[in-house]
Amino acid sequence: MRRHRAVLIALSTLLTASLTTIAAPASAAEPGQVTGLTVRQADGFATLAWQPVDGATDYQIERTPVDAAGTPTGTATIVGIWRPNRQINQESPTFADAGFNPGDRFQWRVRARFDTTEQPYSEPVAGTTTAPWGNPDVPGEQLRTQWETTHAAQYTSDTEEYAYTAAIDELSDRVRVVEIGRTVKNRPINMFVIGYPTPPATPEAVAATSPAAVNCNVHGNEPGDREACLIMARQLAFSTDPRVIDLLSHTTVLIVPTINGDGRAANTRGNSTGQDLNRDYSLIRQPETAAYVNMVRQYRPVAGYDGHEYGNSRAGDLPMLPPRHQNVAQPIFDESMDMIEGHMYTKGAEDGWWPCPYGCDGGGNVGLGEETILRNTLGLKNVVNSLLELRSSGGQTRPDEGNAANNRRRKTFSALWTFQQFLDYHRASLPDIKQARAESITFQAANTGRLVFRGSRPITAHPAPHPGSSPPPIDAPPADLILDNAPCAYRLTEEQYHGARTDGPTGAVTTAAERIADHGWKVIKVGDSYYVPLNQPERGLIPLLLDGQGVENLVDGERIYPTSTGRHTGPLTVTGFACLDDATVTGPVTVRSGAALVTTGTTITGPVNATGAAGVLLADTKITGPLRVTGTTDAVSLIDLTVTGPVDVSANRTDNQPLLVGNTVNGPLACAGNTTAPTNLNISNTVTGPRAGQCATL
Amino acid sequence: MSYPRTSRPRRAGAILAAALLLATTACTDQSAPAPAGGTVSVTGPLCAALPTGTEPGNPTALADLPVDQALTWMPTLTTFEAALRTSGLLTDLHQDGITLLAPTDDAFAKKFSDDTWDTLMTRDHDKLRTLLKAHLIAGTRPLDELAAAGTATTLDGVTLTVTRTGDTTRFGDTADAVCADYLATGARIHLVNAVLGPLPTTADGSGHRAH
Repeated sequence: MRRHRAVLIALSTLLTASLTTIAAPASAAEPGQVTGLTVRQADGFATLAWQPVDGATDYQIERTPVDAAGTPTGTATIVGIWRPNRQINQESPTFADAGFNPGDRFQWRVRARFDTTEQPYSEPVAGTTTAPWGNPDVPGEQLRTQWETTHAAQYTSDTEEYAYTAAIDELSDRVRVVEIGRTVKNRPINMFVIGYPTPPATPEAVAATSPAAVNCNVHGNEPGDREACLIMARQLAFSTDPRVIDLLSHTTVLIVPTINGDGRAANTRGNSTGQDLNRDYSLIRQPETAAYVNMVRQYRPVAGYDGHEYGNSRAGDLPMLPPRHQNVAQPIFDESMDMIEGHMYTKGAEDGWWPCPYGCDGGGNVGLGEETILRNTLGLKNVVNSLLELRSSGGQTRPDEGNAANNRRRKTFSALWTFQQFLDYHRASLPDIKQARAESITFQAANTGRLVFRGSRPITAHPAPHPGSSPPPIDAPPADLILDNAPCAYRLTEEQYHGARTDGPTGAVTTAAERIADHGWKVIKVGDSYYVPLNQPERGLIPLLLDGQGVENLVDGERIYPTSTGRHTGPLTVTGFACLDDATVTGPVTVRSGAALVTTGTTITGPVNATGAAGVLLADTKITGPLRVTGTTDAVSLIDLTVTGPVDVSANRTDNQPLLVGNTVNGPLACAGNTTAPTNLNISNTVTGPRAGQCATL
Repeated sequence: MSYPRTSRPRRAGAILAAALLLATTACTDQSAPAPAGGTVSVTGPLCAALPTGTEPGNPTALADLPVDQALTWMPTLTTFEAALRTSGLLTDLHQDGITLLAPTDDAFAKKFSDDTWDTLMTRDHDKLRTLLKAHLIAGTRPLDELAAAGTATTLDGVTLTVTRTGDTTRFGDTADAVCADYLATGARIHLVNAVLGPLPTTADGSGHRAH
């Protein structure tokens, strides 16, 4: 990174302020003729808007290359078909024309059709399209991807990606490029970490900004989103647009251009072992998916998009889908739906793009509840997110995409629009996202309600015509994949936890212990057993990997049910593994050295004291009296507690972060001398007394 | 294989610009006889969808590139290009002159499921090489010459019929030339719309590959 020069910033500000809308001249309209055509230029596309014609069944969009004088320099071509199901407000039709070479000049006309009967064309509107982003004379802005330089004839290669990435890293103060892992064939998996004026220095500091994450290329033969990500990284790194400065002043943007570099280089769907990586985000058998999951644990994005391409030629421009797995907490599902149907449908109608639910228009058996898919894995990690598809072919509404470059450009610029809109959504809705996340984490940690091993929440159909008129299948969980009585924890043997495995690339197979650590779950060793309690933020995901009923599980862990429910009066001393659920304890609770206490839905009157325990995981619990957790060796997690009395979390020796999340403490909170500093996962604790030491800002 | 992250600051734009300049500067070469006037003309219904005129990757610009480089400029050959590269076949063959019957991406998508293709690309390299040899002919053979001969023997040892009906030249039973007579150094490239060779079709034709 190096210092910007003020003069360059001023110059580029001048140059980027060039958004104009050009309208057709007004004249008396013939019957059935489209009027009021306007064309607004944007990055890689032009938004056409016009007055609707009564009785029109659809509209055709014609584009003609013209010179500066308006003389045609090529043939007029029908490039688009507008249909009512493109947008939520059919009374204000818009169409995003794309595929042309950015910077070229065209004129557009639109005509209505009554069934197949063509009506007169509108008056033409001419305009010069927006050239590839960035002033060619401004360092940084002048960078171009291989895809841009070759006019989309070539995708950006691995080595060109690294050079472009390194150049942005070098030239922008806002960008830090970190390598989050390596592929099977040892290609780097890089991530842009982008903030203003500089990105926070550590993953924990980035996490504190509630980052937005874009995963650009998981299937190597679906490269359109990746090119959009590379362009967007340049825009975010160098743009002086107030919108960009504002976005980056309020959060950190994480962009992973290529987690599947081996597959991209070979143009294959899977990685170099043939594994479909988007069937591996829960099991994380492969280094690529493990790298992404590890990144999510460290950087804690609160919202995400995952880019793909889709072969269904009848789909909309931009099929999207939220995390649907029924173990995903309702607020995460609802907020993800709001991102898609609230934000994307609305903005799509303004700008002329056509988002729709994944599967839209005869989508077949897709978009279901597999937790191995990033969309669902992220939902189970309490991340508001969506899948994004780019329709592979022009389909029925973009007839000019037999040309390979036109097709590639439409896909990439529609992805660029989506990702930029995603950042705007994040900026506008962050309070809602954070609330949904906080509610979901406390819901999950409370370990209430049934679990399903497979099965989706329904996506409600909108009455046609509407982008959401044809959602993916219901996908209700079958009875044999529902567990009404959720256990308290799973118990793993030494062999299950640390034993050698065979599911992964030869020579690089990880253990269950390593994968559980990548997910960030708390594990407590008591005696010879490893306990993974469910009262954790990822409660919905844990059983899918550790229960014998899991469809694609990691191990057949033993279900451990609560050891105490109901009333207990008198002192309670915990030796071994104790799980209190829906219990009422009156009397002091003591957790002995090497023992573990797990509670949910419990009320304890009396001091709680754990000294040298293996683990203390308390959630959705009321405690009257001091709570003291010291010297713990394996795991500490206090979520959604109400404590009347002082809380002391000190001298714990865990190698993972103690969690103090969303608690109410009527008294002082003190943390000192913990080997790993505690975190609140960005969900504040309410503390009436003073906060001290490592908890001062939690 | 190792791909260390670039730590030295580089100006990617300048590098790309230089590469582009190189690629678009076509000149004649003794080994690749370009037609009079120095421009290469390709024929077939798909040609208009590929880089034309002065666009990067236009046929004339490719004539002096090694064949593996030329293939990277054809946006509908991404599957075939990656397969040849992955197989190492072109390097191993050491052919003085070669003709490629290059199936388009659509042709591969019609032929193989993603699973089949990924297996060929990641594990069954012998089978992949045999498949690719079914698309290679010794010598640099213009389409007209192949059509006039009526047959052509591919490097897997199979003799294909070459039939011309109207403007369409067909290899075997199904593979029509859709953009023919690209030149590269020591090579002719004819794009075809079907995959040759005996492997079974595994694509289900739905186009509904789940995300």
